[in-house]
Amino acid sequence: MKKVSIITILSAAVILVSCGGDVKRNPGSVYMPDMAYSRAYETYSDHSNLEEQGIHYNNRPVAGTIARGEEMPFPLQKDAAGDTANYAASKQIQNPLAALDAKDLKEAERLYLVNCGICHGTKLDGNGPLYKDGTGPYPAAPKNLMTLHMPDGQMFYSVTYGKNMMGSYASQLSRKQRWMVIHYIKAKQAEANAAAAPAAESTDKK
Amino acid sequence: MIHLRHFAGKLILGFILALIFQLGNSAKAQDGKALFTANCASCHKVHERMTGPALEGVEDRWPDKKKLHAWIHNSAAVLASGDAYANNLFNEYGKVAMTPFPSLSDKDIDAILTYIKSVPKVDPSKKDGPTAKAEGGDNTLLFGILTLILAVVAFVLLQVNSNLKKLSDDKAGVPAHEPVPFWRNKAYIAFLTIILFLLGGFLVVKGAIGLGRTQNYEPKQPIFYSHKVHAGVNQINCLYCHGSTMEGKQANIPSVNVCMNCHMAINEYKGEKLFTAEGEEVNGTAEIQKLYKYAGFEPGKAWDASKAKPIEWTRIHNLPDHVYFNHSQHVKAGQVQCQTCHGDITKMDEVKQFAPLSMGWCVNCHRETKVQFKDNGFYSIYEKYHQDLKNGKLDSTKGITVEMIGGTECQKCHY
Repeated sequence: MKKVSIITILSAAVILVSCGGDVKRNPGSVYMPDMAYSRAYETYSDHSNLEEQGIHYNNRPVAGTIARGEEMPFPLQKDAAGDTANYAASKQIQNPLAALDAKDLKEAERLYLVNCGICHGTKLDGNGPLYKDGTGPYPAAPKNLMTLHMPDGQMFYSVTYGKNMMGSYASQLSRKQRWMVIHYIKAKQAEANAAAAPAAESTDKK
Repeated sequence: MIHLRHFAGKLILGFILALIFQLGNSAKAQDGKALFTANCASCHKVHERMTGPALEGVEDRWPDKKKLHAWIHNSAAVLASGDAYANNLFNEYGKVAMTPFPSLSDKDIDAILTYIKSVPKVDPSKKDGPTAKAEGGDNTLLFGILTLILAVVAFVLLQVNSNLKKLSDDKAGVPAHEPVPFWRNKAYIAFLTIILFLLGGFLVVKGAIGLGRTQNYEPKQPIFYSHKVHAGVNQINCLYCHGSTMEGKQANIPSVNVCMNCHMAINEYKGEKLFTAEGEEVNGTAEIQKLYKYAGFEPGKAWDASKAKPIEWTRIHNLPDHVYFNHSQHVKAGQVQCQTCHGDITKMDEVKQFAPLSMGWCVNCHRETKVQFKDNGFYSIYEKYHQDLKNGKLDSTKGITVEMIGGTECQKCHY
């Protein structure tokens, strides 16, 4: 009897030790759960049954309010399917931000590279890593932003509500950030034009 | 002989003519490809519908070639003329108007149409994918069997040894005494007790320290989302999906619309084979279909984002409630790279917790890490340190550690 129990304990210990290296699909347990789990509702806690508990919480900003430091809302709504009135009207809207200084331009470049460069290319040439001349996974050719002549307002409309295969970036970039990125694209275009113009002149002279 | 030469001459002439024709034709298709990529490819594919219809056989569908040209030049005019086919098409594709291309000449359009005809259809079932990864080979079983065999051999040899001893004792006339079985042998019992005590103590302490720590936690997610494919192979920036890392306490988990930014168009997986941590093969295209189910999206149709349901991803990195951690403080002010704490995410198919997230690990990093003091507005208030660095009172090569600005004070993280 003793022999059996000793052998069982030993083999159990060996199994316990040897099973440590597998894929860990289970998070394990915590000590003092009241200190580990928040009583307050944290960002990614379960919000699904708040109503049942009598908590009337809507995690959206109050309608009509604007966060501090944020730009005024875009005056145009998204067009209904088949209508392009607002898209056409968006041409008239000006960029509310003044031209960016060097520091803001650098931030705008960062935002562009994070959010846009993946398709439209780090050089704005419509050939980002997702397209790669058609060998990447993205099947549609992104627009070449260097040759795109689109007024600021219409660009904002497209980035906010999406256009063709491009989705809306309203959830990823704040209004201010969107206007900054548009400034950045326009600055890059102006830079390229300025570089091209003297070159063209010099060839003309020859 | 003359006859033959004449014939050969004719043959060569014909061959040259055919070659020229062929070259001309392929040149046309080449032009067409360039024109197609520049003008059409952002909305159309040849064999699949995207924003607009698949263009294969487009000439046969239109009743009249002139009308097709007119449609490409200015679709709105054709719609206004009340053409039935054009209006049906317009309604079928969610009333998204086709961009007018007045600059394309008739020749250009013909070149595009020639190119469309020249694109062969790829049968997805016959596509030979990349060759399977060589099986890593798990040798545990082999070693186990080997150990068992050796143990049996050792046992047999011990038995043989004791039998031989008994025989030799018998011969020498040494009186055989009743042997004490090993479970009653006090030396054995003492030895075993010590071993068990040490082993038990080790396991208990290890388990107690591990309570609440989830290093290497690698849960199964509702969709097999490979960070290696997205952030590694396709070079998508971490902040594309987890953008609020720069602005808030939490690094956000992306919502379905962020996935759909790309997956509205990318509806199949063509990269290297995918495997779960257990080694089962995963069908990437089927996983994209799972996303479409959550999003309420059907490829080829306009997506109504209001039909989407959130995906309940399993959170991997959790800190207990009695610790405060803020992402923006580390990533924006401290300029710490994501990989410092999350490991090489770009090589993980399934993400697992890289860091132990224990207090010792936090404090250690705070002691060793230099603060990015230079040109960083967040630390401009530490005037004395800036002064000392300038005067040379503090060694600027050693810099200022997080500890020096209070990074190991209890109430920095526990309050």
